[in-house]
Amino acid sequence: MTPISNQKRVMIIDDNEVDLKINSKIISITKLFDEVIICQSAEEALSFIHGNLAAADKLPNFILLDIQMPEMDGFEFLEQYRKLPVSFTSTCWIAMLSSTLDFGDIQKAEANPYVVKLLKKPLKPAELQEILSRYYKQS
Amino acid sequence: MNTPAVRVLYIDDEENNLNAFKASFRRQYEIYTATSAAEGLKILENVDIHVIIADQKMPGMTGVQFFKSITDTFPDPTRILLTGYTDIEALADAINHGDIYRYITKPWSDLELHNSIKNAFDAYKSKVDLRNKIAELEKTNDELNRFIYSISHELRAPLVSVIGIVNLVKMEDLFESSGEYWSLIETCSNKLDYYIQKTLQYYKNNKTISDNTRVDFKKLISELIDLYSYTDRETQFNVKIDQEIDFYGDAFRIEVILGNLISNAIKYQKTSEVNKKVNIDIVVNPHHVEISINDNGMGILNEHLEKIFTQFFKSKNHHGSGLGLFIVKEALNRINGKISVSSDVAVGTTFKIKIPNDTNQ
Repeated sequence: MTPISNQKRVMIIDDNEVDLKINSKIISITKLFDEVIICQSAEEALSFIHGNLAAADKLPNFILLDIQMPEMDGFEFLEQYRKLPVSFTSTCWIAMLSSTLDFGDIQKAEANPYVVKLLKKPLKPAELQEILSRYYKQS
Repeated sequence: MNTPAVRVLYIDDEENNLNAFKASFRRQYEIYTATSAAEGLKILENVDIHVIIADQKMPGMTGVQFFKSITDTFPDPTRILLTGYTDIEALADAINHGDIYRYITKPWSDLELHNSIKNAFDAYKSKVDLRNKIAELEKTNDELNRFIYSISHELRAPLVSVIGIVNLVKMEDLFESSGEYWSLIETCSNKLDYYIQKTLQYYKNNKTISDNTRVDFKKLISELIDLYSYTDRETQFNVKIDQEIDFYGDAFRIEVILGNLISNAIKYQKTSEVNKKVNIDIVVNPHHVEISINDNGMGILNEHLEKIFTQFFKSKNHHGSGLGLFIVKEALNRINGKISVSSDVAVGTTFKIKIPNDTNQ
């Protein structure tokens, strides 16, 4: 697979406010991204993406997606995600970020074509860095 | 004391028999009678009958045919067949198709029939009790499943957040800012997380039906080493894998087994050792896989070797949970695997495992 040009904006989708705070803080300390888009639900994330499909400079290049969420969970989000235009999905990878220990969850996540890895909470900067250097051209 | 009323339905086309039966047993049982299968069925539909007695020879439908016709609709009442002495064919048919509890020849002896009804009622009761117990167990099991699910998600998620906060504290160079408090919080959180993980592994090992998938040992071992050597980069791994053919087995349990052994090999290193080493050798053949995990760690005392696979065994000096190797043993039992261990306090420890290769499925 060809690496996507470079990463600027990350979207974090998580219903847990504490984890949102922790993970956006980690990203701001490590400076792995220029901008963090925070979404407290999968629905909010989808409507953000739909609302900005015309504005590529607002869209995320990378998504950190929680699994356990009320209403729409991470896997349901992925179902909706594949219906988005390829022009967007081909420029944005997803890593799932969850505290799950469920073997099935892990296999299911990594079998999804848009998901590069299931990262286990707590997020470790080195693991994130490794994914980014593997899937994105470093500028 | 009031014993519960035993409700008996007797079907016979000869009314004399019905009357004789009633005369003999009306004091002991609640008796319902019918002169045909159709009439009997009507009673079954309206009354909760415990024991059915049916005559074999009836016009229209024989006793056995009647019993056969209600196997699905009324499976609970216990069946007794009444028939003439020589009717061997009915006997065979009854045994083979009628789900019949007793076979009584006419004319009946009151004592024999009385005992049979009593036993038949006991059989009815055990059947119903068993079914209630199963329903109760299913409910408890279901609750346990939900409890385990909530442990793995609801209970663990906030703990993982705490560990995440501790990591942030480190990143912001605040770890030493409050004496040793942060490091104490970290130790406790990690310990709690470890116990939660082991509890889940143990439980899942007991519950999950074993699956049979292709296992790529090279990939699995490298993932496990990545996972467990995260906190300790000093240990050198020498991995030799000889897998030229497919291996089929229970991927979840094999991961649990190897994960626990590799994490132990890392955890129980000698602090003084400069060249911390773990050697992993895996050979796959069509019949099984042989895995050897060898370390130059602190070793296991001879007198402890017997006990290391028992639950909550832990050696005094080291901070284990006493669950890891117990889970390894339990998981191996589930998949017909074998483990042996040899250890020397001066040299280190070697675990050898053998797991069958289920290629023909």
